[in-house]
Amino acid sequence: MVDPRRYFDEIELGEEYESPGRTVTEADIVIFAGLSGDYNVLHTDAEFMKQTIFGERIAHGLLCLAIQSGLFTRATAPYATLGFGGLRWKFKAPVKIGDTIRLRAKVVEKKDLDKPDRGQITLDRTILNQRDEVVQQGQTDLIVRKRP
Amino acid sequence: MTSATYFEDVVVDRVQLTPAITVTSAHVEMYQGLTREMATESAGIPDVLPLCMAIGLGWRVKDPPMAVQAFVGLEWKVVKELRVGDTMHTSSRIISKRPMRDSGLIVDERTILDQHGEVVQQARFTFLVAKRQKEASA
Repeated sequence: MVDPRRYFDEIELGEEYESPGRTVTEADIVIFAGLSGDYNVLHTDAEFMKQTIFGERIAHGLLCLAIQSGLFTRATAPYATLGFGGLRWKFKAPVKIGDTIRLRAKVVEKKDLDKPDRGQITLDRTILNQRDEVVQQGQTDLIVRKRP
Repeated sequence: MTSATYFEDVVVDRVQLTPAITVTSAHVEMYQGLTREMATESAGIPDVLPLCMAIGLGWRVKDPPMAVQAFVGLEWKVVKELRVGDTMHTSSRIISKRPMRDSGLIVDERTILDQHGEVVQQARFTFLVAKRQKEASA
């Protein structure tokens, strides 16, 4: 069977991807609160949030970060990813219930690692909403296997 | 009675430990259903999941919850893979605070550790935290 994954050697600097959109729902926020244990009023108290500048509950920043991680796998053929190395990230605008977010990503750096079977791919990533406003932005480092 | 920890109350260099939580396959399945982030080649859990759970653990310390108005930034490094059945907790240290007009920026360094006390992940969260309202502090 053909291995559909893309290995470190095959990923080129400058490659760009854009994911499908994903609407963030109230259910997403409720599930994420239960999963993470983050019941902060920003995400769970509709009445309190009416009095704030947001006017309503907003999605957890890490929920949207996690969703973009999934959107990445729908934006391009799967990488032979071994895991995350790390990230540097800014939360620029709130995501509200009903907003539709999508991911834009670009390969900006490739480097070898100490272990010869893997390398690190750094991507610039931008999460946009349905109005093309940037809601989150940053760089992620992925550890990707080299072709055996 | 204080119901929140405001910017003025945050103490730089104070270290707080959270309770622990065992990461189960149910957590992984919920996470994958929510995000559609597929499993990587390894059998470990998705790296972002412990980070998400670290935020929740942060609300379970003895102090009243920090009056967070917004999550501003994150730097994060994965040190070691966590596996289903491992039990994680976090150690949190405020490394800086910078006042602004009605609020301030707090940088909270959180280290995620496993049941052996080994570091799994390290993160620096930047939060915008409300100042105490004037009438409340009078």
